[in-house]
Amino acid sequence: MAVTTFIQAIVDGTAEEMRRDESIFLFGEDVGVHGGVWGETRGLFHEFGSDRVIDTPISENLIAGLGVGSAMMGMRPIAMIQFADFISLAMDQITQHMAKMRYRSGGGWSCPVLIRTNSGGGVQAGLYHSQENTAWFCHTPGLKVVYPSTAYDAKGLLKAALRQEDPVILFEHKALYRSVKDDIPENDYIVPIGPAAIRREGEDVTLVVWGNMVRSALEASEMMEKEGVSVEVIDFRTLVPIDKETLINSLKKTGRVVIAHEENRTGGFGGELAAILAEEAFDYLDAPIHRVCAPDVPPIPFSIPMEKFHMPNAEKIAKVIRKTVEY
Amino acid sequence: MLNAKQKGEDMMDLNKEDQRRLFYRLLLCRNFDEKMRTLFRQARYAGTFFSCVGQEATTVVPTFLARKEDVVGPQHREIGACFGKGMPTKYIAAQIYARKTSPDKGKSHPCHFGYPELNIITPASTVAAQTVIGTGCALAFKIRKEPRVVLAFTGEGGTSQGSWHEACNFAGVHKLPIVFVCQNNLWAESVHYKFTSAIIDYSDRAKAYGFPGISIDGNDVVAVYEESKKAIERARKGEGPTLIEMKTYRWYGHSEVDPANYRMKEEVEEWKKKDPLPRFEAFLRKNGVLDDKIKAEIEKEVEEEIEAAIKFAEESPLPAPEEALTDVYAGNQTMIYERPKAEKVKPEPIRT
Repeated sequence: MAVTTFIQAIVDGTAEEMRRDESIFLFGEDVGVHGGVWGETRGLFHEFGSDRVIDTPISENLIAGLGVGSAMMGMRPIAMIQFADFISLAMDQITQHMAKMRYRSGGGWSCPVLIRTNSGGGVQAGLYHSQENTAWFCHTPGLKVVYPSTAYDAKGLLKAALRQEDPVILFEHKALYRSVKDDIPENDYIVPIGPAAIRREGEDVTLVVWGNMVRSALEASEMMEKEGVSVEVIDFRTLVPIDKETLINSLKKTGRVVIAHEENRTGGFGGELAAILAEEAFDYLDAPIHRVCAPDVPPIPFSIPMEKFHMPNAEKIAKVIRKTVEY
Repeated sequence: MLNAKQKGEDMMDLNKEDQRRLFYRLLLCRNFDEKMRTLFRQARYAGTFFSCVGQEATTVVPTFLARKEDVVGPQHREIGACFGKGMPTKYIAAQIYARKTSPDKGKSHPCHFGYPELNIITPASTVAAQTVIGTGCALAFKIRKEPRVVLAFTGEGGTSQGSWHEACNFAGVHKLPIVFVCQNNLWAESVHYKFTSAIIDYSDRAKAYGFPGISIDGNDVVAVYEESKKAIERARKGEGPTLIEMKTYRWYGHSEVDPANYRMKEEVEEWKKKDPLPRFEAFLRKNGVLDDKIKAEIEKEVEEEIEAAIKFAEESPLPAPEEALTDVYAGNQTMIYERPKAEKVKPEPIRT
């Protein structure tokens, strides 16, 4: 076991997979000699060389499309989108080609691309370096969407993504990169794509979160514990495919659900989870399902007071839990 | 603009049998296309049909030159690329009829011909996207040092896309084994090329990407053959991409539901005189490759192949409604996670 940061776990996982499978290669903006703007590919260029770690022009649609074409030809591409905010430029290749390739060819082609992108706010980066836009992709059949909160999961989900046959988008919250560490086992492991993780067992309220919200959720659940409310925290580390079963089982136990995410409320993925629960487990609900989200404004205003106001945090989550419990 | 015949080239590297085979494919493409237009008007299949009549040489000939392992990236009007590459006609027909036997099992669209067995990428309707995907394929070949080549097709309209620029730019930087074929048929659906670019020869665009560009008469089979061959060989030798603009013309509307009223009748008539098929036929007759007897045999064979393909399509079953739910993920997974029976859910507390 070695204590490893979130970002290092991802870099290590990438390197281990590239040693294991020579069809894996990686490309994107500033990922070569520079090692990524966050150090998210540091050292890979030096170990694997310019054929397998490729600096691209500033062309996000190309980056995604290189993934599509090379994956169809049997490679295992890792397409790096420097900021999730820039992924809008790659939407044609991701949503119309990568996601649809299997379907539109009647199963004739596979397109196992791994897209890595860094996301999330709270680091004073403004409207174009803070978004987490998972909802765009959760709404796109054919894609899988994963969003780890721990270094262990980040490495394990990355490895799992490189060992299956569908396109996967891995969201890496920039605030987790260096502030989160885990004991990472020496041996090879994967974290399967699909199952959610129960981070804390509880009896009174189910709290569903992912990415950096997991930390806020655990903080909130400790606050609530002092108030005598037992909170079960579900880390929805895979958004799609949806682990409905874990969600519903937890609701059956607690009778109350709060969903928190950094994205704005309307059309956010929390709404989908709430709808599943309302449709399939209504009889178990003792209170309305509540969401803690960003307001419906463009994400994320720059100035510090506005950014803090914009983002969900432990206090805001605790407040909504109280409301749910008091219902 | 180059014309191969002016340079005295004459397809000498193709034996007579292969020249006849090429003629066969061109005629098959032409007659099949005309037949499909008729069948559409008889409502024998749904959707619409994107005729390539008039511009067959630009797709049939380059793909005829490609090897099985080479990749073709077509878009909606490239039915000829399927005939050139040798995709069985019955599957082309099944695609148009959206039958269960179609390579896409009826999922995409009658004009989205793809055939993984021959490395024809199933296309989509966002124009020029296949040039980006083709660039990705070419990158894979370069990394693995495989002598495979990509032929990526667009019309002149597609070169206005940012994605086309991104593809050419990257392919140029890495000298990728790809040939960008631009079929300039003057009209991007209803918009004349004078309103979509300020240049006359689209091959000029290649200068910006550091690889050669050439503009040729796309209705001259011999010119298309020679220049495609050079570009493919160049790509295969690792010398990088080529942009070939093939000036041509579609005789009919954008699709069968487009009467093409935006064009002058005189323009259409003028281009019909430049029909690539009679020109190639004259060339073959002059060289003693084709005569009345051989042509009649070829026509008969083409007719039989078309009839058999239509019969196959019309007798093929339609897909079952619920087949709409398949082929989304590998192993027919869905957007809902299905927990394997053996998998136990146990708490996973944060480890630090």
